[in-house]
Order: sequence, then structure tokens, then C-alpha cells
Amino acid sequence: MDVSVWRGTAEGAFQTFQVPARDSQTILDVVAWIQQNLDPTLSYRFACRVGMCGSCAMTVNGQPRWTCRTHVKKALKNNKIQIAPLRSLPVIKDLAVDMDPFFDKWVRAEGVFHPSKTRRDKVEALAPQTAARQTADAGIECINCAVCYAACDVVAANPDYLGPAALNRAWTLVNDAKDGGYDKILEAVSDHGGCHNCHSMGNCARFCPNELSPMTSIAGLKRATVKSFFKRKA
Amino acid sequence: MSKIDRHDTDILIIGSGGAGLFAALHAQQSAPQGTKITIAVKGLIGKCGCTRMVQGGYNVALGPGDTVERHFMDTIKGGKWLPHQDMAWRLCEEAVVRVQELENEVGCFFDRLPDGSLHHKAFAGQTADRTVHKGDLTGIEIINRLMEQVLARPVEKLQEHRAIALIPTADGAALAGVLFIDMRSGQFRFVRARAVLLASGGGPSMYKYHTPSGDKTMDGLAMALRAGLPLRDMEMVQFHPTGLLAGEDTKMNGTVLEEGLRGAGGHLLNGAGQRFMFDYDPLGERATRDVVSRGIYAEMGKNNASPNGGVYISMAHLGPDSVRQKFKGMVKRCADCGFDLAAGKVEVVPTAHYFMGGVVVDPDTRTALEGLYVAGEDAGGAHGSNRLGGNGVANSTVFGGVAGDVMGQDIQKTRSHRDPDETVLEAEIARARHPLGQKPGLIHPLRRDLMAAMWDYVGVTRTTAGLARGAQRVGEIEAELMAVGVAGDNLAFNLSWHDWLNLHSLVSVSRVIAQAAQARENSRGAHYREDFPEQGELETSYFTVARQSGEDLQVGREPVRFTIVRPGETVLPEGEPESLVQAAQ
Repeated sequence: MDVSVWRGTAEGAFQTFQVPARDSQTILDVVAWIQQNLDPTLSYRFACRVGMCGSCAMTVNGQPRWTCRTHVKKALKNNKIQIAPLRSLPVIKDLAVDMDPFFDKWVRAEGVFHPSKTRRDKVEALAPQTAARQTADAGIECINCAVCYAACDVVAANPDYLGPAALNRAWTLVNDAKDGGYDKILEAVSDHGGCHNCHSMGNCARFCPNELSPMTSIAGLKRATVKSFFKRKA
Repeated sequence: MSKIDRHDTDILIIGSGGAGLFAALHAQQSAPQGTKITIAVKGLIGKCGCTRMVQGGYNVALGPGDTVERHFMDTIKGGKWLPHQDMAWRLCEEAVVRVQELENEVGCFFDRLPDGSLHHKAFAGQTADRTVHKGDLTGIEIINRLMEQVLARPVEKLQEHRAIALIPTADGAALAGVLFIDMRSGQFRFVRARAVLLASGGGPSMYKYHTPSGDKTMDGLAMALRAGLPLRDMEMVQFHPTGLLAGEDTKMNGTVLEEGLRGAGGHLLNGAGQRFMFDYDPLGERATRDVVSRGIYAEMGKNNASPNGGVYISMAHLGPDSVRQKFKGMVKRCADCGFDLAAGKVEVVPTAHYFMGGVVVDPDTRTALEGLYVAGEDAGGAHGSNRLGGNGVANSTVFGGVAGDVMGQDIQKTRSHRDPDETVLEAEIARARHPLGQKPGLIHPLRRDLMAAMWDYVGVTRTTAGLARGAQRVGEIEAELMAVGVAGDNLAFNLSWHDWLNLHSLVSVSRVIAQAAQARENSRGAHYREDFPEQGELETSYFTVARQSGEDLQVGREPVRFTIVRPGETVLPEGEPESLVQAAQ
């Protein structure tokens, strides 16, 4: 098959390679095969190989995907594959991007647990069936691969926007009975670049490889921030 | 002298798995105000490494009727009386605090029973339901939450910084710092630190089939070896029985299909479609990891293999819908890769999973070299000859936290930085630059040769002749590696240069594994010698200790010290039942 791969940084060009097809072959296997057999200078990033670490996401035939879990057959178009780095993040080299801006926003959105107890306290008895816990659970299996971030057109247009993954994490904390940062989180996500920038276009939910819906989480944050705004006014 | 960047910090942590991240948090709490803490990692913080890949869960004696004593006894028996008992005790005792810390301070939410109490699942080899978990993605929950805490703190981050050498002081009495390659630029960077934690994770990725993350290549143990530190239990490689087998040229090979599949009643079938595990053990597929791995390996040797040379796991008889529901993540992963786990058969093969061996440490993570601390899979001792499922993440998080506490206190005694031995620094740079001066060639075929040799001769079952052949092959591959080069015109994010360095680490540690396996003339836990199938007397148990000096590698034996309990005895109170797990399970 014909595989064209981005070479360079922000400036660069696609370079085409011929890669033999295999029955069991992921996009990551294709990229690795090129580096191991055809061009030792090709740069990319991966770690776990099984869709748990979120290190290897790239743009494959125009779509953001985790490459270790994308079978070639699923992505192939006319026996061709085009592989580029993720959108909206600075390219370090070839297919590897700098993910720091993504994680900086995670922290800026207060996507960090705010403890109200210590290690000397027993584990709290918390029923798993409450509505709040179920809401938190619905968003908690994010692996921070930045596929949603790259898919989001608002992020692409507004570099200040916190983006779907960070806001999704903030929403899981808002619904976490153990978290002591409710007001702080709502303040962070209603600030500039916050949840009200979301246009509900739904690319985040469409492309999330874990089938999460950050858009739904962001809608929850919008409601919560409005409610809290009126509460404070009263 | 090669141009290198020089950098100072107070506490330097190598690795960002459970050990590294906990060390960073605890060091911040225990060190004096203004202490500079740096975390350096081969990939991205919280993303590379293996803690994140933990599926099963975390062993902690918090379940009904369970005690630290019981957890300890299971750990000692599981390790076949080889564990360092004070470390094993520390592990079990402090796991309780660490899980409370994870829940209350870090923000993890482990699975609950309807009444809100923690759910403890049963895991093989344990006499109580002890394993706390978050579905089958426990590692993601733990690492995501830890990562957030570390990212939100003023900790210096050196990402995509590959550690290549521990550099001592000129008199060799202490560690001065660590030499890195900044992978993004290709620049050498020497970081001086008053205390260094090595927590890069082991990961036996020198085997044809292996489960660890792709970045794991035993760099930590290779560095410790070159620094002259003693390494123990180096023959102890744990194989997981069911790694995915997917054919040529795919990184899916060896990735683990979870333990729970067999526990739930999954069948293992040979190439002819017949169950075979009852030929090897009365527990069949539900026998422990080591037994099932050897059963599969033996079956493969009888020309009973599946098309790609393994066996099949089959779940369909349990009802495809029920399998889909119970093992959602696993079924989806297989489907993404083109396999139907719920209704079809999937090829599997034993796969190198965890490395019990590591640097000799004390229960406070201190080593023979002042200024160096080791925690997590790089440290040996806690598991002895075999690690129980659920004790891996407990080990990394417990001892990572301990290391953070201890380093924070110890640096108050060492006010100034130590200067490195410039000769060693220069020699290590030359070692790393070696391939840049050779004629460029392909590195991957040599990696494949090493993985085949270790699998064939130093793998699931071992013999005197096989081990000798394995050791010889490792030597030949090392010689070939030294003659293969990498084009050095652009060192920025040059993965092929790192492939070479990865293989160099793997070759050095493979040599030790082969030699330690030769030194152990009995079969304990993960180490099985066909020519010495007996476990040997428990009372006179020994562990192997390997030391390298220049090119000379010596493996000796040291007696296990039964500091808490002797073979045949127990620390459980009299009248305590053997097991709390219902026989029906």
C-alpha cells in the first residue's frame, strides 16, 4: 500500500513509502515498519501498544485516531493511507507533537482532585449508584490521548479554549462527592477560554476512541456555572 | 570533550509510573521548603511506563477479616520463601495507608459494593479477597490522578529525557548525578542531584513475546549494572500465560489478555481444538500463571500449535453476549485488532510480563551507593521468585512514597552537590555515541534475534545446555550490535539511535538473566529448570546476586534471611483459617 507520512515540523511535506500489507496490522505498525526498515530518521511516539496510555494519536486519512488500536483495514482508502501529526498541537518532529499545552489546560481547568481528607482517614463509604457518581463514571475513563482536542474546531480557532478533555475532567470532579473544589472548578471553567466557548458541534464525542462524550460533560458544566452564577447573585 | 549541557537539582526522580509520581509527591511533603524536585522520564509524564497498564488491581488488606499478616504470608508463600521479608512486610503494611492516600488525597475512586464499601476481588494465590480495583482499568485511574497532582505542582519536568548513566564521584563513594539524552534535541544533559531515585521500571522486553510498554528496555538495571551495584533474583522473569499472538511485524504481539478470562471459565485449546491444561494440572486453566505458562509452552512443543505457533483461548461457550458484557474492554480491544474474543477463538502465547529481579535495596529504598535510591520494578526483593497479581502496583506506589519520604529527609544531611567523575562521564558519552561512528545498518533484526534467543533458551522452561547456548547467543548479538551504526547527521528525536541504546541495555541485562539462571540449580516460582525440577530445601533457600566489574560478571548465592517467619511457620494467630476465600469461588 501507499503510505504518505508528514516530515518536518510546522513546515514540511508528505513523503510516500510502500509498505507491505499484513493480516494483523495497525497504523502504528505501519509507522514503525517504515522507521525500522525504510527510513530510520522518521520520528513518532508510542508507549503501551494497547490503547491505555494515549501517546500515539495521529491524524490518519484526515481523522484523529489512536494508532495502536486502529486496524489498517479500517482506515485504508483506495489502498492509500496518509498519516500526519495531531492538529492544534505544536509539532516537535514528523508525527510527534508537544502535548504540554493540552496538559497545561487540564490543570488550568482545575482538573486536579481537591482533597478534603487525609491518608490517615478510612476510605469513605460511597454508594456507586447515586446519580452524581454515575455521571462522574461516565466521563472518568479518559486516557488523555488528545484525539478530542485535535478534533475540536473551537480549539483550532481559539487557542485559548480549554478544550473537551480538560472540561470533561472538570465535570467528573464536580460530580465527585469527595472533591472539595466545587467553586474553584466552576470559576476556572467559566473563565475566558472556558465551557461557554463550546458550540456543541460534537466532534469530541464522535472521535473519542473510548466512546466518551465530552460534549455532554461540557453541557453539564454550562448548566452548573449558570446555576452558580444566579445563586451568587441572589 | 563532547558538548554537554549541565544542570542542577536537589531531588532527581527517574520515571513517572506509580513509584516516580508518588516519590515526587512525598518528596515535596518531606523536603524542606525551596527544595528543587525534578522528574525525568523517557516518554511523557504519566503516559509511558507500566503502572498505567495495570488491569487487575491493587492488593491491600482492607477486606472483611483480612489482615496485614495474612497479606504478608501470601506474599512470602507466593514468592516461594525467597522474598526479602522486611520489604514484603513494609509492602503489605504500607499498602493500607497508600490506598487511603490514593482515595483521600490523590482522588482515585475504586469500585464499591452497593453499600458503599470497597469491592475486593479474589485473585489467584491469595487467601482473602484483597484486590481493590477500578473495573479492569485500575492503572489508568491511579496514574491519571497521580499525574494531575504532579503536573499541578512546581516540579521540574524533563520529558523525553532518556537516562543513560549513573555518574559517581571521582572517589566512587557516592552518586553525583545522572547523564541523560534530551531525546527531542539529541543533546547530552548531565544533571547533578543530592538524591536520585531510580524508578524507570524493569520490563522484560528482551523476549519474543512481552507485555510491557514499548519504551521499557531495562535501562535502569543496565545503568545500575555498569555502576557496579549488586542485582538480585535476576533469573526471575514472570510469564503471563495469555499474550495475544497476531502474526509478523505487529506490536500487538504479546500484549496481555487478562487473567480474568481464565478465571471466568475460558478454555485453552491446542491447534487441534482440544483442551489440554488438565494434562498438566488438576486446576486446568485456573492454575497459577507459572503453571499455565509452562503447560502452554509444553503443548506448543508437541506440534499442537495454532497457525502462528501458540494456542487458542476460547470464551464462546460462556455465551458471546455475556462475554461482551463482562469483558467489555478486552472484547473491544480484540475487535479493534481484528479478533473476535466473544464468539471466536483468539491465538495466545505465554508472554514475558514482569521482572522480579532488581537492584539490592533496603526497606527504605537505599542502595549500596550513597545518594542513589531505587523503587518499583527496578528494585529486587519484595516478590522473591514470583509476584502475586495485584502486588505490582502496590509495590511501586508503596516504595515510591517511601523513597520520597526518605530522600526528603536525607538531603537535609547533604547540603551540597557532588562533582562527577569526569572520566566516567566522558566514557559514558562515548558509549552512547558509539553507533554514530559505525556504518549505518538495520537494528531491528538484531532485536528480533535477541528476543528469539531469550525466548528459546532463557524462557519459560530452562536447561543447562539451553542456558549455555542462550548466553552464547547474547554475546554474539552484542558483538554484532557493536558493529551496526546509526546515521548521526540529525540526532533530534532520532528513534533509531534510541533503538540501538535500547538494545544495548537489553543485551547487558539478558546476559545477567542467563547467567543467574545457570546459577540457580533448582526450580522456584518463575524459574523452572527441566534438569533441576525440585524446589530445593526451603530452610537453606538462597537468592542470586549479580555484580559486574568492567566486562567481568559474577553471580553468587546468598542465604535468604528469615527475619520474620521461617519455612513451615506462620505469623497468623493460632486457629486462623487457612483461607478466607469461599471454596465455591
